[in-house]
Amino acid sequence: MALDRYEWLGRLAGRLPDDCLVMSTYIGAVSFEWAHHTEEHHRTAHLGQMGDVIGMAVGLALALPHRRIVCLDGDGSVLMELGQLVAMGEQQPDNLVVFVVDNGVYESIGWSSQGRRPTATAGRVDLAAVAAGCGIPYTVDVTAEDELDAEIELAFSRNVCSFINVRTRPGHSHVRPRRTDGIEDKYRFVRYVERLEGIWITGVPPQDIALMKDRKQ
Amino acid sequence: MAMTAAALDAAHEGLRAAGIDFVSGLPDGWQRPLHERVELDDDIRYVPVCNEGVGFSICAGAWLGGRKPALIMENSGLRVASEYIARISLGTGVPVTLLCSYRGDVGETEHWGIPHGIVAEPLLDALRIKYLVVRHVEDLAKSIVRAKRISEAQLHPAAVLVSGDCVWED
Repeated sequence: MALDRYEWLGRLAGRLPDDCLVMSTYIGAVSFEWAHHTEEHHRTAHLGQMGDVIGMAVGLALALPHRRIVCLDGDGSVLMELGQLVAMGEQQPDNLVVFVVDNGVYESIGWSSQGRRPTATAGRVDLAAVAAGCGIPYTVDVTAEDELDAEIELAFSRNVCSFINVRTRPGHSHVRPRRTDGIEDKYRFVRYVERLEGIWITGVPPQDIALMKDRKQ
Repeated sequence: MAMTAAALDAAHEGLRAAGIDFVSGLPDGWQRPLHERVELDDDIRYVPVCNEGVGFSICAGAWLGGRKPALIMENSGLRVASEYIARISLGTGVPVTLLCSYRGDVGETEHWGIPHGIVAEPLLDALRIKYLVVRHVEDLAKSIVRAKRISEAQLHPAAVLVSGDCVWED
């Protein structure tokens, strides 16, 4: 039993708290479908790539401990760098919820008459069990739609560092690829965070501009 | 063998003067005292990791949330982190200050440090990371400040490689 990716990402997008931030993948089906469901809302950082999505989400969660951070990753990416789960388990940011699209294949590279190339989760690896072994306080392996609904509701009703692995059917994305590159995605997200938090991330801060004017006088 | 007491003070002073408020890293023999010092600094969030690549990703995420991050590691860690530096910083332009022990620099006593010294500078060049090699303690604090400054200006990492009198008292 496994879920349809496009459908469950849509359900998650529909229940996303308005004031959260999202760390998502940069390219590939998860990114494209999430962008489609969220109309490319700038609260999502489409900046994570194979092996670094959860790590970046941990950093973001530690930087903004008052803000709920949602992370979207894929099984191939998590498997590439399991050390991210160690860091998440060690730090246990209670404002971080990770959802993994675990379809057991490397979807985005294409396939042939031999089928799709499997990831290790198609074999013996259980990512939720690995995450639990790394010390992440709440981990679950979701295999049915009603389970996912309950897990989404639970995740957004409390502050517990959580790892939600969603067993997902392989399937080609039917939405169009995103058009922006990482530079544009970064600025979109950074400007959104600056407005949301009232902070200054890039450029010369206002207080320094005032100092520069003072020096010229 | 660890960094000298004077170098430890200078590195800590440099991080604070640079406005670094978030540090991740994996301790090594030379900079272990700096990890210990930073961990006790209430103005700096310290996040130890077991892999420098994960440390870089965490620093990048922290920067996106408004923090001023630095990654402290041995130069061997540059090789581990290089995949994520390339993906994140060459691809999207995210600044992180890198503070690296320069194992394998002239004066090295350990055979295992030699490969680290051979690879470090060409790797930094390949990643388009500007860097300063600091062999005198009096240059350390200001070099960290300058590295952080250009890192923010170019939205890309900049590095300080620590060696010479900062670790050897011969």
